[in-house]
Amino acid sequence: MSTQEAQDLTVRKTVVVDCSPEQAFDTFTERIYTWWPFESHSPANERPESATFEPRVGGRLYDRTASGDEHEWATVLVWEPPTRFVVDWHVTPGNPSTELEVRFVPEGDGTRVELEHRGWEAYGDEAADTCASYNRGWEAVLKPFVEAAGR
Amino acid sequence: MAYQDPMDALGDRTRRAIFEQLRKGPRAVGEIADELPVSRPAVSQHLRVLKEAGLVTERRNGTRRIHRVDPDGLGELRAYFDEFWNEALAAFKAAAEDERRNG
Repeated sequence: MSTQEAQDLTVRKTVVVDCSPEQAFDTFTERIYTWWPFESHSPANERPESATFEPRVGGRLYDRTASGDEHEWATVLVWEPPTRFVVDWHVTPGNPSTELEVRFVPEGDGTRVELEHRGWEAYGDEAADTCASYNRGWEAVLKPFVEAAGR
Repeated sequence: MAYQDPMDALGDRTRRAIFEQLRKGPRAVGEIADELPVSRPAVSQHLRVLKEAGLVTERRNGTRRIHRVDPDGLGELRAYFDEFWNEALAAFKAAAEDERRNG
């Protein structure tokens, strides 16, 4: 598998938000519970009552349900507020874990938020072989997102 | 195509445990049941859901049925996140901008 193909496995998203990088960074991390779509993606089988993003390298991102169960989503690898953070993302079942990087870049009066979810190649060569067939599908998914983000 | 969402299929803790077992290597139903506090019929039922979600495939080896992680299913999982982040970032954008107006 070539380097080019490996890069193609990375999920990349960009969204421009109408606020400062500090505000965007704090919303993404400290206030993650206020916006995270738990209905679509939650490690627990019930909606948690809190989600905590510990603000330091080695810190944990975890949620806690009403019954007191904790579920860890990620651990912090790089912590550079309000510029970027990188976490080891292991909420997805099955090893190995993937890596999520989010960068906050000033753009005019707002902030361009660049998200990279990578490391899928760690799922093995089979995943890389699979990736080629998904490329066309990704383009179809990305196009409406780019249009929406551009508004 | 009646594809169940891979994340729905993995929303159950027992199914997650079975999936993690299979990530270590192909296994028969009995081998999975031996390593988990779950009966063989229950394992079979969970495997059916994982197969419907495209995460696991099955092949016959003589009289044994061997289950393994479907590499296309991992592609599904990745594709799931591709779509998921669209939704999550839209919600994030609304929250970040709402915070600015209120704060």
